[in-house]
Amino acid sequence: MRILLALGCTVLVLSCEPGLSPPPNVEPGFGGTVYFERSTWPPADSLNNLWIFASQVYPLDSVKIFAGLFSTPPTIFLYPGFTASLPFFVDSLSYAFNLPAATYQYVGVLQQFREEISVRSLKVVGVHGAGTNPSQPLEVRVDDFQFIHGVNIHVNFHKLPPQPF
Amino acid sequence: MSFLLRYCLAGLFVFPSLLAQPSVGTIAGSVADSATGLPLAGANVVLRGTVLGTATNASGEFRLNRVPSGVYSVVVSMVGYQRVIVSDIVVIDTGVQSIRVALHPMMIQMEQVVVTASRREQSLQDVPVSVSTVTAEMIAARNHITLDDALRYVPGVNLMQDQVNIRGSSGYSRGVGSRVLLLLDGLPFLTGDTGEINWEVIPVHEVERVEVVKGAGSALYGSSALGGVINVLTRDASDAPRIRARVFSGLYDQPRFAEWEWSRQSRFNSGVMVSYSDKTGPLGYLMSVARTVDEGYRQNDAYHRWSVYTKLKYDLSSSQSLTVSGNLLQRIHGNFFWWRNLREATRPADDQLNGRVESVRGNIGFSYREFVSDRFFYSMKGIYFGNSWDDYTGTRRNYFSRSDLVSLEFQGTYEFPPRHILTFGAAGNYDRVNANLFGAHPGIGGAAYVQDEVELLERLKGTVGLRFDWQKVSALPSTSEIHPKVGVVYSLDSETRIRASYGSGFRYPSISEIYIESPKNISQVPILPNPALLVEKSSSMEVGASSTLGSSIAVDAAVFSSSFTNLIEPGVAFNDANEPYIRFDNVTKARIQGMELSVNIEWWKRLFSTNLGYTYIWPRDLTQQTMLQFRPQHIFYSSATISLGHLRLSTDVRYVSRIERIDENLVRFAPIPQGDERVPINVIDVRASYDAVELGVPLRVGLNVNNVANYHYVELIGNLAPVRTYFLILEGIF
Repeated sequence: MRILLALGCTVLVLSCEPGLSPPPNVEPGFGGTVYFERSTWPPADSLNNLWIFASQVYPLDSVKIFAGLFSTPPTIFLYPGFTASLPFFVDSLSYAFNLPAATYQYVGVLQQFREEISVRSLKVVGVHGAGTNPSQPLEVRVDDFQFIHGVNIHVNFHKLPPQPF
Repeated sequence: MSFLLRYCLAGLFVFPSLLAQPSVGTIAGSVADSATGLPLAGANVVLRGTVLGTATNASGEFRLNRVPSGVYSVVVSMVGYQRVIVSDIVVIDTGVQSIRVALHPMMIQMEQVVVTASRREQSLQDVPVSVSTVTAEMIAARNHITLDDALRYVPGVNLMQDQVNIRGSSGYSRGVGSRVLLLLDGLPFLTGDTGEINWEVIPVHEVERVEVVKGAGSALYGSSALGGVINVLTRDASDAPRIRARVFSGLYDQPRFAEWEWSRQSRFNSGVMVSYSDKTGPLGYLMSVARTVDEGYRQNDAYHRWSVYTKLKYDLSSSQSLTVSGNLLQRIHGNFFWWRNLREATRPADDQLNGRVESVRGNIGFSYREFVSDRFFYSMKGIYFGNSWDDYTGTRRNYFSRSDLVSLEFQGTYEFPPRHILTFGAAGNYDRVNANLFGAHPGIGGAAYVQDEVELLERLKGTVGLRFDWQKVSALPSTSEIHPKVGVVYSLDSETRIRASYGSGFRYPSISEIYIESPKNISQVPILPNPALLVEKSSSMEVGASSTLGSSIAVDAAVFSSSFTNLIEPGVAFNDANEPYIRFDNVTKARIQGMELSVNIEWWKRLFSTNLGYTYIWPRDLTQQTMLQFRPQHIFYSSATISLGHLRLSTDVRYVSRIERIDENLVRFAPIPQGDERVPINVIDVRASYDAVELGVPLRVGLNVNNVANYHYVELIGNLAPVRTYFLILEGIF
């Protein structure tokens, strides 16, 4: 009788437990904080644009950069957008970057220091995970319906990470 | 027409022995339960030292005809009863010798006879390794449609979709290279191309018994027996005309969550099987046809299957028999590799939506047995196993494979009085593969083995065995292996046995693992061949004990340890351009330790019975100093049955702990969105059956509800396991 009771209780408990369930319908992406080292900001005339970039490809060269930005579907994404920029002369800023689910092997901050749009006008000023191994950035894997927090980037304009181009 | 059919079948076997007409008589009698006096139907009656045998009918009666004059011993056995040997039965010309046998009820697992552990019939109590069995009754009661479903309820065994794992031996190797050897009636039954187990080709409705031997078994069975051996034994023809028909219809319930409801229509899983069996003189025959249609609980996961099976057994004389069997299966199955994502877990990725696999598989085998004397008998067996499959997307054929495998074997068993039983044999195999993924390659192998079972002391039995294997695949250099086994069983008293064993195992890489090459596989990552693959090896030790406590409790406990070297796994590497590729490599050294406990209790004069099985596994990857991939740590099964006259109510509970480590590269490069999402497996099945056969109505009705709690889980990453399913089963025996 006790065994029957135990089995009944087991069935009852397990009946309430669904196991796997569908995740909430979250727009995929990642977010975190960009920290800017104090007093390292460059002059205002060399700050044309500042973006957070996320690339599915690493390492990069000039051909891969333009292919990644303008191919369909793209493999390199910019935040807050190609025609917008991050604010300048701040100590830190929080961001939420929505982008397609994929593995992003190279995430960082990109500075456009001349008006012309070319690879020669760009430099990477901060990389996610650069503190561990400067030559091997940390990848960020974004699944469907998943938003990853804590993707922080440190920027020191006087101490740049290895450049990909 | 019936006469013509019988005549034609009998005409298949023309042997000189037919011409001989020795004087023959008959042994007839009845078998009853010693406690109740009621007749026992289905008891096995075998004439020792001959191939003659039969089973009791519904009235508990049996009749053995065509017994040559002489003095015999009759062995009467039945699951759940103590075996009885009736000696000194004298058969004279045309006479009928009558015997009455009363069987004493025993704990079920103590009196089972198994054939796999030592390649000969022996009581389970005398086996030095852990062996579990699945009976035809269990398969029928649970309405298993393929045999892998039945193995999910064996202690120490778990399945990762269709890949079987005995005590953590296998993990998941993407469908190639089984580390458990499957035998069909004692002969290897792995596919020639991928070296995997194909469960659908086993005629599950005609299975008499399945024996699962745990631990390395290559010293008797050769390649692939690293983790254990599963031997599927098919049933023989019945002595009297018998038609068996089985119809089932299953209805898949909706998942708990609206996001996973992909179809508004009810989805069914239905099938019908009809078999006819009879014996005409010395020829027994069995033929069956089965049709199964599963509409699937997931999109593009439906299949249609036809199978035809036949088995003929001809008793050439009282000491010689020839059996020929064959099976043919045709199937069309949708391709559901993994889910689109966890929010759409019942839909496959877009590129799999129009995929399907069409397969034709078949085997034909023979077995000749002869008792030369009371002390010596031998058998010769052979099997051909052909596999053909084509993978399509719409009308475009992507992949195909054709493989042929032939195995031949000779085995002799000689009893040296008073203490030795010697088993020896030789085996050979040839396989040929032609596939666009694997290329065209032949393979050939041979083996010889010997084993001595010796009664060291009155209560101590020992076993020593050794096997030599040689194999050559295509143009690669040949390889050879020697593997030993040692075991002892000590009888503490009439109810308690202590056992200890050591055995080693190995697995030749399959042709697919060596030669697979694809510029872009389904995950868009190229796969490269690796002709330098080495043989996987294992060694396993076990110490165990079994005992009955009183007349209603049986306990079996074992501790085990297995070591593995050169385990072959598919791995992702990067070329000079930093592009990923997949290749099979010898990468892992591992050790798996654990314990297993089984407790069977029968309550209230067998009105209520419970079976519990718990296995603890500690699977370590010694190369990376982590847990091995795809191995659970805890496996627990329990079942309970209440018998109220002809009504039986049963439940099964299955728990497998959450897999701690999976292949992250598979998730990443496939890619499988949310592929790392997994939970412990908690599944409860309930069923009720009413058997009206003894009331004179040849019908059994069953109602099963599988996964009654509609619990959602994965066995294999990215693959939602079946939802709650209701089955109605009708079985008629005429």
